[in-house]
Amino acid sequence: MGNIWFIGRRELASLFNSAIAWFAIVVFLFMVGALFFWTGEFFEVGQNTMRGFFDQATLLFIFLLPAISMRLVSEEKRTGSLELLITMPLRDVEVMLGKLLGAFLFLVITLLLTAAYPITLSMLGRLDMGPVIGGYVGLLLMGLSFLSVGLMASTWTKNQIVAFILTLLICGFFYFIDAMAGAFWESAQDTVAHLSFRAHFENISRGVLDTRDIIFYLSVTTLAVTIGTFSLESRRWT
Amino acid sequence: MSAATVEAAGVTESPADKAMIEVRDLRKFYGSFEALKGISFRVGRGEIVGFLGPNGAGKTTTMKILTGYISATSGWFGVAGFDGFDNSLDVRRNIGYLPENAPLYPDMGIIEYLNFVCQIRRIPVGKRKARIDAMVETVGLTSMIKKNIGELSKGYRQRVGLAQALIHEPPVLILDEPTSGLDPNQIVEIRKLIKDLGKEHTIILSTHNLPEVQMTCSRMIIISNGTKVADGTADAIQAQHADTQSLLITARVSEEARAAMSDTITSIPSVLSAELLQRDGERVQFRVSGSGGDELAEAVYSTAKEHSWSLIELRRDVMDLEKIFHKLTQY
Repeated sequence: MGNIWFIGRRELASLFNSAIAWFAIVVFLFMVGALFFWTGEFFEVGQNTMRGFFDQATLLFIFLLPAISMRLVSEEKRTGSLELLITMPLRDVEVMLGKLLGAFLFLVITLLLTAAYPITLSMLGRLDMGPVIGGYVGLLLMGLSFLSVGLMASTWTKNQIVAFILTLLICGFFYFIDAMAGAFWESAQDTVAHLSFRAHFENISRGVLDTRDIIFYLSVTTLAVTIGTFSLESRRWT
Repeated sequence: MSAATVEAAGVTESPADKAMIEVRDLRKFYGSFEALKGISFRVGRGEIVGFLGPNGAGKTTTMKILTGYISATSGWFGVAGFDGFDNSLDVRRNIGYLPENAPLYPDMGIIEYLNFVCQIRRIPVGKRKARIDAMVETVGLTSMIKKNIGELSKGYRQRVGLAQALIHEPPVLILDEPTSGLDPNQIVEIRKLIKDLGKEHTIILSTHNLPEVQMTCSRMIIISNGTKVADGTADAIQAQHADTQSLLITARVSEEARAAMSDTITSIPSVLSAELLQRDGERVQFRVSGSGGDELAEAVYSTAKEHSWSLIELRRDVMDLEKIFHKLTQY
């Protein structure tokens, strides 16, 4: 456990040293705020709810989280520092989980910076905290699975941009998969919804913490980290 | 290095006092390309072994296998008494590794980075500062201490690389081209550092610089095309690969004797050829090739005495290590 924490902390520090991470935070905070109040129809709905915020945030995640995860392994592959890290007395899976932890802590910090919204809203009037807590839990879970997919993709290439695009495609595909399926074959939508990042988020953000939704995100995370670890280990045999 | 600090750094001493590094018939395929074709060697405690070979000979591949970065296709190796395949983590705990080009994290500060290595290497919190200070002192980084690794020149980055390899006081050090890309002054300093380290650590270093091996290593292993072609001290390899004995004789000889000198030397039974190298007034130098070991020198000496040449120098002309290297590694 110690090793994962040490790697995670180093990774977090390294993220805060990189321009792209700051850029992602600024874009996220700006966009989510702007979209929430302007296009989220907050003032028109006449309800004290953060619904609009969470919807915008998940969409932004598809673009911004791949930018955080893209460098995790691919950058170290490019510079060669991966060799030095891996020849320390560490298991490959510890390296992977440590890197995921670093990126996840970054996400937690970013979301903490949005705490101004629920605080302000609760001062405006009665804010139903169920959906707010659900929404944040959902964002953390969805973010965790996006970052895991990104981590996996970054073990496949030395090129950050390739890792970014692959992550964007995979996450985007599974975000919209039920909507896409529904467009072609309406009755398929509910079945395919089990695979959709968005459908599971909708359940949670209503304030209903169903184990099936939590298990979905954790399964995606486990699967992506496992594939990523195999991919990292494959250097030994090729 | 005392035994107490070794334990404190989480480094386990080998159960038996065997060879610190033992490699048996190691093979490595990259796809269908056979990079290592069955390499075996042993490195004893306290040895500094130079790994020599042309580019692509298999030096780096061997080092990557020893440090657990890649796996061998077949064969066996052990480090500090631990099995390289079954106890990879223990092997890595006992090794300090400096990969080629010292790939470090450019965005980290020197101290910040060394502290991270201390964490991973399980050096107790209370001892970290002392270890880091000692390393900074040893490798000569004191004046750079405030800088980020990315701001350092190649030579200083290499020193940070050495510091991270040494910080847990590993019994075995593996250094891949520790002096490549350094300026001559830095090379001298790093070589001196390696020699000093050799007193306490078992070291393997790779290089394609021959003088470096002669200066810093107690033994050399020459690898070519995935195979070990020579293993021993520089002297032993030279002796082994010199086909014929060669002597250099310098003497002061009068004008009239000089004309016959070449023929006189050639007429010694064990001499195969004599070659005039220099003539400077009365002073002449010949290279004499022949067989018979010490007798050759004795025969040449008695001939010189017999003909009253004033002998200035008579010495064995060893085959140039560079020539041997070239002969062994061309394919």
